[in-house]
Amino acid sequence: MIRELNANLEQRVEERTSELEVVNKELGAFSYSVSHDLRAPLRSISGFTQILVEEYSSKLDDEGKRICSVIQENSLKMGNLIDDLLSFSRLNRTELKKGLINMKDIVNSAFSELTDESSVKRIQFKMGDICNSSGDPNMLKQVWINLISNAIKYSSKKEKAIITIGCKKEEGYCVYQIKDNGVGFDMAYMDKLFGVFQRLHSQKEFDGTGVGLAIVQRIVLRHGGKVWAKGEVDKGAEFYFSIPIISEI
Amino acid sequence: MVNNFDPVQILIVEDNPYDAELTLRALRKHNLVNEVYVAEDGQEALDFLFCEGKFASRNISSPLKVIFLDLKLPKISGLEVLKRIKSNPKTKKLPVVIVSSSKEDPDIKAAYELGTNGYVVKPVDFSDFIKVMQNTGLFWLLVNEVPR
Repeated sequence: MIRELNANLEQRVEERTSELEVVNKELGAFSYSVSHDLRAPLRSISGFTQILVEEYSSKLDDEGKRICSVIQENSLKMGNLIDDLLSFSRLNRTELKKGLINMKDIVNSAFSELTDESSVKRIQFKMGDICNSSGDPNMLKQVWINLISNAIKYSSKKEKAIITIGCKKEEGYCVYQIKDNGVGFDMAYMDKLFGVFQRLHSQKEFDGTGVGLAIVQRIVLRHGGKVWAKGEVDKGAEFYFSIPIISEI
Repeated sequence: MVNNFDPVQILIVEDNPYDAELTLRALRKHNLVNEVYVAEDGQEALDFLFCEGKFASRNISSPLKVIFLDLKLPKISGLEVLKRIKSNPKTKKLPVVIVSSSKEDPDIKAAYELGTNGYVVKPVDFSDFIKVMQNTGLFWLLVNEVPR
């Protein structure tokens, strides 16, 4: 009797798994094709508007020219949305290539990619001891790029931005922390923070598509860790992510 | 556009007429436009290349310098067109450059496995697109040599 039930259960699990696999594959194909099919009309919109500006500008008054630039600005924005959507959907289809990671190097290279000589002057960047980790180097670098670029962006209105990176070990996990002194956020919207295309600021305040933290969350989840955040309006934000410790490095 | 008897130097296989128009605009700046033929699907491209159907009387005395091939096409896909070009001794030496919106690794890999001579991603931004198409056109038409 029990054996029969078990066999039944196993069969149902198998069926369910293969159903899920099919749905997952379909979703991947869907976002892939949506993203690609959206690009062509977008190129036409921006392209033909550009032609209007270049070749018919003598026939356009100032308002006409302004409208053209609004169209172009928005098609650029949509292009960014599509790019982000694509990289987000790609995340689920890319295999993790796990290796040992020198976290300090990755953080430093992410930070230097995101800053130049002039922007680095207004940022005080502090990094404590960071434990190394095991994971996909490209993906974890993406995590740091997204977190650090957020910290830079949301502290850009401060005269001096202070970004601190730290780490501690906790119950089999390395918990990484990044803290800034920027505009922060209201903890009431915490659940929206990591959602795709969710934003807590207007485009006017801070530019962005709302995909960065969703990507962070997806990568960390795929590594078997968690993400969370603390913040207060105008008092900075702290982001955390944990990665399981596989072995001492 | 050309009639069937002019020596065509570039074959553009592109189902989106606006993308085709923008490509032609990019090439027009270098006076290359009279030597271009635009095929709107994979079948038309193959008919053109193998001088079949409405292209039975096409003049092939001077070979194509390059084929710009989109991947996503009606009827016969870009990869299938590529496969047929590269597996036929009559056409396998023709340079084929995939011109696609896709920068996905599997697409790029598949195209190279079938023997593409190049892979260009169409930028969404118009001025980037113009630049990319001009550079690509100039390279394949003026710099690159094809077997006679």
